[in-house]
Amino acid sequence: MKTIGKILFKILGIAALIYGILFAVFYWDLDGKFLYYIWEPMMIKRFDNMERKDATAMPYSMKENVEANFEA
Amino acid sequence: MKINLGDIKAKYRELFVVEKSPEEANKPKDFKKMASDFWNGKPHEERRLGDLYVGNTGLYKHREWRGVKDTMYYFNMIWLYNYAHMVSDIMKYGHGPKGVVTFAKGTMRYRWMGQTYLTVMHWFDRGLEGTRGEAMKASAWHYRGMVSETIRQFMRMFEADKKINGGKENETWKKTIAHNETLSGNIFYGWRDQLDDVALEMIPYFVSVHVNNHTVLNYIDAAQSIGLPADPCPMCQAEYGLFVQDDYPDYSPVMLTTNEACDGSVATSVLQDWFLNRPLYAMPQPMRYDDPLVQKHCQKEIEGAWKFVEENFGIKMDWDQYVKHAQSFNKLTEFEWEKWDVAANTPYYPINGVAQALYRIYYSQDGDRPIWHEMDEHVRRIMNKTVKNKIETFPKTRHRAIAWSCAPLYYSNWCTWAYNCWGINCVINMDSLMFDQYLRTDTYEHALEDLSWFNEKAPMRAMAVGGHEHILSLFDYMERFNCDMVIMYDQLQCKGMQGIHGVFEDEFRKRNIHAIWVPHALPDKRTVSRAEIRDIINDYMFTVMREEPLDPSLLDFDDSMSW
Amino acid sequence: MKDLVHIFELEDLLQEANNPLVRQAKADGKRALGYTCNFMPEVLLDLPGCFSVRLRAPRSGSPDMATYYMTNRTCMYGRCLFERALEGGFNFLDAQMATETCTVTCRFQEHLQLMDVIKNPDFFCEFTDVPFKKNENSIEHYEEQLRFHVLDKLKEHFGIDTSDEALLKAIEEHNEVCRLIQEIGSYRKLDEPTITGWEFSVIQLCTLVCPKYLIIDKLKDIAKQLKTRKPDATKTYKVKVVLTGSEEDDPDFIKLIEECGALVVADRYCYGSLPGRDEIVVKEGETPLRAIARHYLENSQCPRFMDQHIMRERKQYLANVAKEYKADGIIISQMKFCEYWSYERTIDTLILPRDFGYPVCSIEKEYVNNAVGQLRTRFQAFVESIELKNIQKEGQA
Repeated sequence: MKTIGKILFKILGIAALIYGILFAVFYWDLDGKFLYYIWEPMMIKRFDNMERKDATAMPYSMKENVEANFEA
Repeated sequence: MKINLGDIKAKYRELFVVEKSPEEANKPKDFKKMASDFWNGKPHEERRLGDLYVGNTGLYKHREWRGVKDTMYYFNMIWLYNYAHMVSDIMKYGHGPKGVVTFAKGTMRYRWMGQTYLTVMHWFDRGLEGTRGEAMKASAWHYRGMVSETIRQFMRMFEADKKINGGKENETWKKTIAHNETLSGNIFYGWRDQLDDVALEMIPYFVSVHVNNHTVLNYIDAAQSIGLPADPCPMCQAEYGLFVQDDYPDYSPVMLTTNEACDGSVATSVLQDWFLNRPLYAMPQPMRYDDPLVQKHCQKEIEGAWKFVEENFGIKMDWDQYVKHAQSFNKLTEFEWEKWDVAANTPYYPINGVAQALYRIYYSQDGDRPIWHEMDEHVRRIMNKTVKNKIETFPKTRHRAIAWSCAPLYYSNWCTWAYNCWGINCVINMDSLMFDQYLRTDTYEHALEDLSWFNEKAPMRAMAVGGHEHILSLFDYMERFNCDMVIMYDQLQCKGMQGIHGVFEDEFRKRNIHAIWVPHALPDKRTVSRAEIRDIINDYMFTVMREEPLDPSLLDFDDSMSW
Repeated sequence: MKDLVHIFELEDLLQEANNPLVRQAKADGKRALGYTCNFMPEVLLDLPGCFSVRLRAPRSGSPDMATYYMTNRTCMYGRCLFERALEGGFNFLDAQMATETCTVTCRFQEHLQLMDVIKNPDFFCEFTDVPFKKNENSIEHYEEQLRFHVLDKLKEHFGIDTSDEALLKAIEEHNEVCRLIQEIGSYRKLDEPTITGWEFSVIQLCTLVCPKYLIIDKLKDIAKQLKTRKPDATKTYKVKVVLTGSEEDDPDFIKLIEECGALVVADRYCYGSLPGRDEIVVKEGETPLRAIARHYLENSQCPRFMDQHIMRERKQYLANVAKEYKADGIIISQMKFCEYWSYERTIDTLILPRDFGYPVCSIEKEYVNNAVGQLRTRFQAFVESIELKNIQKEGQA
């Protein structure tokens, strides 16, 4: 019984600690600061350097009338 | 790189410490007041929300302390709740843990995803700044609905996307309908049990701008880099750029497009055709839409769209499905009308201007989805409470404003600022009044008739086209919603609105109405910055209204690099 | 080349909207019906008892009053028309037969409706809804719109005969003008054209802004003269070009291009003759109104159309025109702030050289063309680049 109590107490303690840490992240906007100063510059670098196909090279040729059959 | 203690201290102060004025710092400590402020939050006039920002970033040195109850609600039921639900939504819509992998692939492939959507909690923060109690709760539920639906849509796109799935046309690709964002989702109700419809532009650049406006600038620049002039509607420019940069997911075998809301939207149909290069069906809406003679034509185009879907997917439209979803959507409409009634006639309406506008345009465009009903239930409970208990949700209201024309996407939360700074409460806006149509389902003819009316009243076009009387209905709505001020959005690249500028000037003068013109360029903050928008409102409030701000710290601050 | 008969008289007629022939027709007791867009079929406005005037605002300066109403961020064509209306320049109009086919001209026409601008007690402005597709549903809809918003209104307001017989007669007269214009325009297809782009644009514009019954004889004279007209002994141009794009009603702009050495041999723009001056064909069993509705939808190459195959055909059509008229290149001109042509021009500029092999000069201009110097430089450079290419080709051959 005592052990279970101890475990429960420990779990509660850990939960409280995590909760406290999350509150700190929330209150001091650490999520925002991480995304702004670390994540976003990383992503910008990635997407700026990403190889992209030249979409405008796609020919724009004739096509049959796909709507002809959908006249109500 | 050498880092010294001084630098660290300076950085710490910049990021975390709210500087007090010498006057404030030298004040004798009033513990009773401090305790009261801790427990209840500071009174509106003492909040100094502008002091919380980190430089020009829009980040907070610390998030606002709203009193114990509201701060803990915000932390538990908004911040934690939404982060947790984002993860669960990714798994739910991605069909289990593999959804996380799909999400990661999308995040790494698309700029509008990787750079944008993770910053979503700041979107909440900006929109809900300064709100308290029931207003904070109800508005946050609306945001939650939009986040969940956004996740559903991009997860569907990623799951179907040929580009991140090795070029394969998988089953999801074969069962997804791509359509123009201005074509309402209700067109596809008849297939909702077997197919899914996802708007092409909604997630990549419309919602994304609200969340983080940095991304879209790449697309606008890309469009102009190949010769497009700078003056067409920047929304359409962004769509062009998305194609030029090859940054759209390939998630459907077809495309359905429309002419809403303007000439630019017609013009982008060519882009969709060119770059997507797959069967495309155009479902244009008539311009003179309240001419009784146009209705049959419009209905036939809808039926044409249905046949197109049937033919391309080999699945017959299910009338019972249509009825089920249309009736379900009507419940959302009925609740919207209830909300309008409370907003128009009482001070107990618990949703702030930005939440009202974005939620309404999002769900009415998207169509019937379970999340909207879930959110409406939460909001209904809150609204019932505020009305029953006569809770004034925006107690510092000095002016009830109506916002007209299309809003700046990069600063849709200007109304949160305007209330906090000046007590201007934006009660209703033009975009909320679109799609104002009940869908009858008793007969096929009635259903089709109402569906065509619904689509004719799509965003912007309901007011901006089809005759002067539509755009000038502002004055009727102003009366209906008991407003004493107009915020007149002045989208610099919208030819329809620019073309009627002087008529509004004349009318405002004639009717002696306080109207503040707010110039902007939809998603592009470089044309008119948020600070310039605030300056315009500040100038009007000081010089014309002769009023003093509620929170002077919000008058002038730099958020040029903010999301 | 020898001067074309009537050409200077016709040029004079373009100096104001209420020109001497318009005044003469009004004096003959006919109703003047204004319109701005090709989607308002002029043939219906040319029924006995009335005549069509496609609105222009020649010799415009700075449209200050219109800019107050429409800001300086809208198409200047729309603003200049409104300025002219505010100045009283359109008071001769008995009606404006309006279409909501592009945003700014729509606003201009709505202003005529709302603001009591036209000082003519009989004046009214009526809008017709124009569809975005060329399918049967659209033709049916368009026909109904034309019946209700054009024919019925003309009958109701001015007692115009709108019977099938009257329509057939109007089609016949309209087709005669079209045949003449096509004949006159066909001389641009010659290896050495015997008519300049400027001359042709003056003639074509006059058919749009003058009562047709008063100019048809002049067209016949011109056609007759062209049968024997000889080109200059030495070529006065270096290359031949197609001019395409948005609204263009200024012959001086064509002159500017031609002064730079590019002969304009085809005119595929609003107010141009391609494909606007194709004859209306009444098929067997078809009512004349149905034939008109079908003709105006099926024949148009406006970037407003959204059917997938039509959007693609537009590019092919332009390439075909260039081939038929033996053009060396294409000039795509867009009125600043024209949303449709912003996109169309950008896309055409990429696609036409690549997929069809035609060099393109892509420009943006204002209705009141003040940027003559810059445009001249652009056109000269374009002409030179084509010449260089031709030299290279010859060298390779």
